[in-house]
Amino acid sequence: MTLREGLMLPELVKEITQADINRYAEASGDYNPIHIDEAFAAGTPLKGTIAHGMLVLAFVSEMLARTFGDAWDESGRLFVKFKSPTRPGDTVTVSGQIDALSAESDIVLATCSVVCRNQADEVLVSGEARVRIPDRL
Amino acid sequence: MPTNYDELTPGFEFPPVEYRLEEGIVADYVAVVGVEQTGHVPPLAVAARAIASLGELMILPPGTIHASQEFEFHGLVSPGDGISCVAKVIRKVSRGPIRMLTLEMRITNESGALIQVGRSAIVLPGA
Repeated sequence: MTLREGLMLPELVKEITQADINRYAEASGDYNPIHIDEAFAAGTPLKGTIAHGMLVLAFVSEMLARTFGDAWDESGRLFVKFKSPTRPGDTVTVSGQIDALSAESDIVLATCSVVCRNQADEVLVSGEARVRIPDRL
Repeated sequence: MPTNYDELTPGFEFPPVEYRLEEGIVADYVAVVGVEQTGHVPPLAVAARAIASLGELMILPPGTIHASQEFEFHGLVSPGDGISCVAKVIRKVSRGPIRMLTLEMRITNESGALIQVGRSAIVLPGA
């Protein structure tokens, strides 16, 4: 893949179920009841369980890893805001694009916008990623 | 001894938490999240464990949610590596029913090399 400004990153689409959220709680060790206890979550202002923010960010990170390879895992920077909760039953589409490329000695710095939306086109997560890419990539 | 929100002040540093990213833990994470398997631990798996480890250090009320998250990755982690995480309170906001914390986590490997920095802003449910 030739990197250039304006390049759209390869989209990821993930369906989130309560079973996925429960399995993520086990895998991550994060058992906050807002994610896994439907009775508790129903009594909060969110009115139901929500996915872990870190689960949704894992999809963002995966999209960036598929684009930039180990350069992402070794040197990535990510800043995101959680705009709306991701709920069981949501289909999450993760997308992004390269906004800027700049050269710094023997590396190229890519700045990307990233966004996650649900099936209603609501923004769940948005932010910016930066990655330092060795010239060899 | 876990610390609660009222006891925290900006600059407060928690004692380090150490853990090992055993192959089984990494395999479970990869399977659940559905990421492509590589020779190293996905950086978000490292971060997720670090954030979960905060539960050993502070009492977060049920219903606490994430408002924003920042990461800087500085190096790769191999399955089986030992990790140390030091968390620090960067910002605390208490305004009426709004209670927010920003925590910084610095994660190092067994050689002491910095591998990741994370900053989490969390919102605690109203009192």
